[in-house]
Amino acid sequence: MAFRLAGLVFLAACGTTDAPEAPRVAVDPAAPVLRRLTAPQYTNALHDLFGDALVVPAKLEPDLSIDGLVAIGASRGTVSSRGVELYEEGAFLVAEQVVVSPVREMWVPCTPTSAVDSACAREALSWLAWRAWRRPVTEAEQQTLVALADEAAAQLGDFHLGLQYGVAAVLQAPSFLYREEVGEPRDGGRLYSSHEMASRLAFFLWNTLPDEELLELADSGDLNREGVLVEQVHRMVHDDRARQGLRAFVSELYHLDRLDDLTKDPALYPHMSEALGPAAREETLLAFEHVFLADEDYRDLLTTRRAYVDATLASVYGVQSPTPEGFGLVMLPEDEPRAGLLGQAAILGQHAHPTSSSPTLRGKFIRETLLCQVIPPPPADVDTSIPEPSGTAPTLRDRVAEHLEDPTCAGCHLLMDPLGLALEPFDGIGRYRLRDNGVLIDASGDLDGETYEDAEQLGQVLASDPDLGPCFTEQMYRYATGRNPELGELDLLEHLGERFTARGHSIQRLMMLIALSEGFRTAAPPSGELPTTQEEAG
Amino acid sequence: MKTILDRRTLLRGVLGGATVSIGLPLLECFLNANGDALAAGGALPVRFGLFFWGNGVLPDLWNPIGEGGLDTFALSPQLEPLAPLKHKVCVVSGTAVKMPNVVPHMSGAAGILSAIPLIGNTDVDNTFGGPSIDQVIAAEIGGETRFRSLEIGVEPREGLSFNAPYSKNPPEDSPHALFERVFGAGFREPGEDALVDPSIALRRSVLDAVMTDADRMSKRISASDRIRLEQHLDGIRELELRLARLEEDPPDLAACMRPTEPDTEFPDIDGRPQLREKNRAMADITAMVLACDQTRVFSNWFTYPVANTLFPDATAGHHNLTHDEPGAQPECHAINTMIMEECSYFLQALDAVEEGEGTLLDHSAVLCTTDVSLGRTHSLDDFPIVIAGGACGQLRTGYHYRSQTAENSSKVLLTLLRSVGIVTDAYGEGEGRVTEGLAAIEI
Repeated sequence: MAFRLAGLVFLAACGTTDAPEAPRVAVDPAAPVLRRLTAPQYTNALHDLFGDALVVPAKLEPDLSIDGLVAIGASRGTVSSRGVELYEEGAFLVAEQVVVSPVREMWVPCTPTSAVDSACAREALSWLAWRAWRRPVTEAEQQTLVALADEAAAQLGDFHLGLQYGVAAVLQAPSFLYREEVGEPRDGGRLYSSHEMASRLAFFLWNTLPDEELLELADSGDLNREGVLVEQVHRMVHDDRARQGLRAFVSELYHLDRLDDLTKDPALYPHMSEALGPAAREETLLAFEHVFLADEDYRDLLTTRRAYVDATLASVYGVQSPTPEGFGLVMLPEDEPRAGLLGQAAILGQHAHPTSSSPTLRGKFIRETLLCQVIPPPPADVDTSIPEPSGTAPTLRDRVAEHLEDPTCAGCHLLMDPLGLALEPFDGIGRYRLRDNGVLIDASGDLDGETYEDAEQLGQVLASDPDLGPCFTEQMYRYATGRNPELGELDLLEHLGERFTARGHSIQRLMMLIALSEGFRTAAPPSGELPTTQEEAG
Repeated sequence: MKTILDRRTLLRGVLGGATVSIGLPLLECFLNANGDALAAGGALPVRFGLFFWGNGVLPDLWNPIGEGGLDTFALSPQLEPLAPLKHKVCVVSGTAVKMPNVVPHMSGAAGILSAIPLIGNTDVDNTFGGPSIDQVIAAEIGGETRFRSLEIGVEPREGLSFNAPYSKNPPEDSPHALFERVFGAGFREPGEDALVDPSIALRRSVLDAVMTDADRMSKRISASDRIRLEQHLDGIRELELRLARLEEDPPDLAACMRPTEPDTEFPDIDGRPQLREKNRAMADITAMVLACDQTRVFSNWFTYPVANTLFPDATAGHHNLTHDEPGAQPECHAINTMIMEECSYFLQALDAVEEGEGTLLDHSAVLCTTDVSLGRTHSLDDFPIVIAGGACGQLRTGYHYRSQTAENSSKVLLTLLRSVGIVTDAYGEGEGRVTEGLAAIEI
């Protein structure tokens, strides 16, 4: 049953000037999901608690990507027994570092009077648990932590050595490792509590723990007051940590972490190096950051000739390196079709094979990731090989065309290959080329009837595609909620998509719209009695 | 009402309601006339292992010529590397993975490793529908050892050892990390008189506190999330047990010794992983992990389905080659042959450990298989299967069984369950379900 948040009247005049009006579209709230902190969230949280110099655990249970997002994998995957072991190792690795000077002065507010000093242990550990667990810590919980520290301190004869064990307990607790967000009854519906909202906002917008300001507003219960919420969302989107949040979203959406393992045959691609993958990732992140911080139009990302490159990428793109170290801004040459996201090595290199480009993978990326269209997988029992180059079929376009004569393949491949062929002038790592096997590449085609001559024009056609903005909206909504939208949220999604596209495709604004929407703030009750067998669990 | 499902309950359910019970005496090798007994007076344990690679084989070059015993079949070109162990392996050909082949590679992997159809129908969203066979077995025989099971790999990505849908056991891909994990701080060789580290007890107290928090959280979340959290709790209980085992005296096994510490890094050379070197380092450590009875269940994820691993001398990634290499696919053949050389090295490392009158390999059942039959077509017919080691005389070795009726490959899995002492009358779900094993290879 749909409901509105009764009694919540948005006060436009209270917030800041450019915070958008909260979307007023009702939803059927979806059941809450238990999300595990992703590896970047775990790492960011530790840096928040103990400073940037902290050496964080290098190895953790791997994040799982489901439906293209780690955010969704985090609400469905589990922790293996190896993962539990790694959490324990990680907790002690951190604990050892933070009980010595100078780190301990950052968070232990007292000087112990003896090896066992329960009062001092309590002061330190209750603050730590409050921050790490993002909620008030009960008296019993405080006692448990203090008892651990006391027992260890007595045995080891040193207050700070003992404190390690309290820290290790805080960092291994499910209260830290999972986001326990279940909502609470409110006005006939169910609203995420103010502490839960503090976490939801912080992980969505910053990809880390809530800061003390958010937690204090949660402690006082004020965070769920409409004006306060709007003000906080506005503050967060304009805070520097929002860059970290944006980067996390973009990394997930385009699987940029996979660039660390980019496998390319160095014999075929002399410009390939271990530095290329990470450089390509940074380029894509900087491009998004630019549009986000300057609050420019999201569609510019598909058409711009502005590119952030370092020396590695400059050599791949055939441009002058703008700076001897790090990244700088260049304008891509006018006489080449490289522009926007589709000209970036992160996209071109990832959606290709170790020894060749791949029009199919590139077309699939455009349809699925940029336009949210679903392409079914190939039937399993077919020969998917592409014919070898020949005199009559020298280019990949010719070879793919031969292959597409098979009607069982053509249905789906016609959706992907023609789009990918527009990117054929970029080889398997994204270097520009005019010819494939000595023959000039024809990069023309059409996207659902809109024609283009080359990759740059394909970017422009995509930028005006009606599915582009709504798809980006849906991707961010899935990222923010950690699940796929349910039927009862489709009206809201449509509305959010319209507001995003109608007013300049502002990513900042979209973040605020999602954070303030009912879909992000309301929950159905946690579902289901405990089944007694797996079959009943279905 | 019992409020928390334990792993065995979950797995029981997944076994499709089949009656499963564990015959305790069968867990260990039957003693022979001389009594292959340990010094401590117990019998030798039986082990189960997986050696898995991605992207299939070339069946025409894989299937042995002739059938039956040692003298009546000849190893094929791709199986030739197993020649030194011909008398210790059983090749099964001609069976078929009967799963709906919905997602290329993954449907077949789910079939041969779990006998349960894959959940999900896209290459980005799919998961095994239940535990992989190594975990079904670990749930029954893994409780006796420090590690319930160990997952390792050479280029494994995330491996395919499943506890439940969306719940995997990630493999260790660094030989040095594996060494540290098992033989690092706290490990004592038999007879080694080291002091028990007092911090172990403190670590266990910490885990008790962690459990309390987990129990509290468990009461507030949805039923499906509770099952996920329960998996985490299982991990904590196992870690507590592991710490307790470290405090006890180590098992008194003659063959157990701390292996040589491997190199810390195996960096890619010219963009290619050091597959051979890594596999061999892994094999040498794993042999000692088993000899020291630190686990009885392992899986080696050599490569991953669809992976474009660059093999030595190959002109393209493995998966690409399976589809794009024309003609007789000599490059694919070279890759498959190399994989079997490494499989053979791994098995020989187990065979080099003497236990009683036999070897560690004799006391194991190692399933060596892949995700498809012919990579080019993703076929699931005539599935490539080798079982190494006779599981203490439970399985026929030096044998090639060829199914003439395209029997369900799940029969092999049911036979493997029985060979390690699990008494069950059925295994698998849907098209993967079978109610009989492969009698021809059982003893």
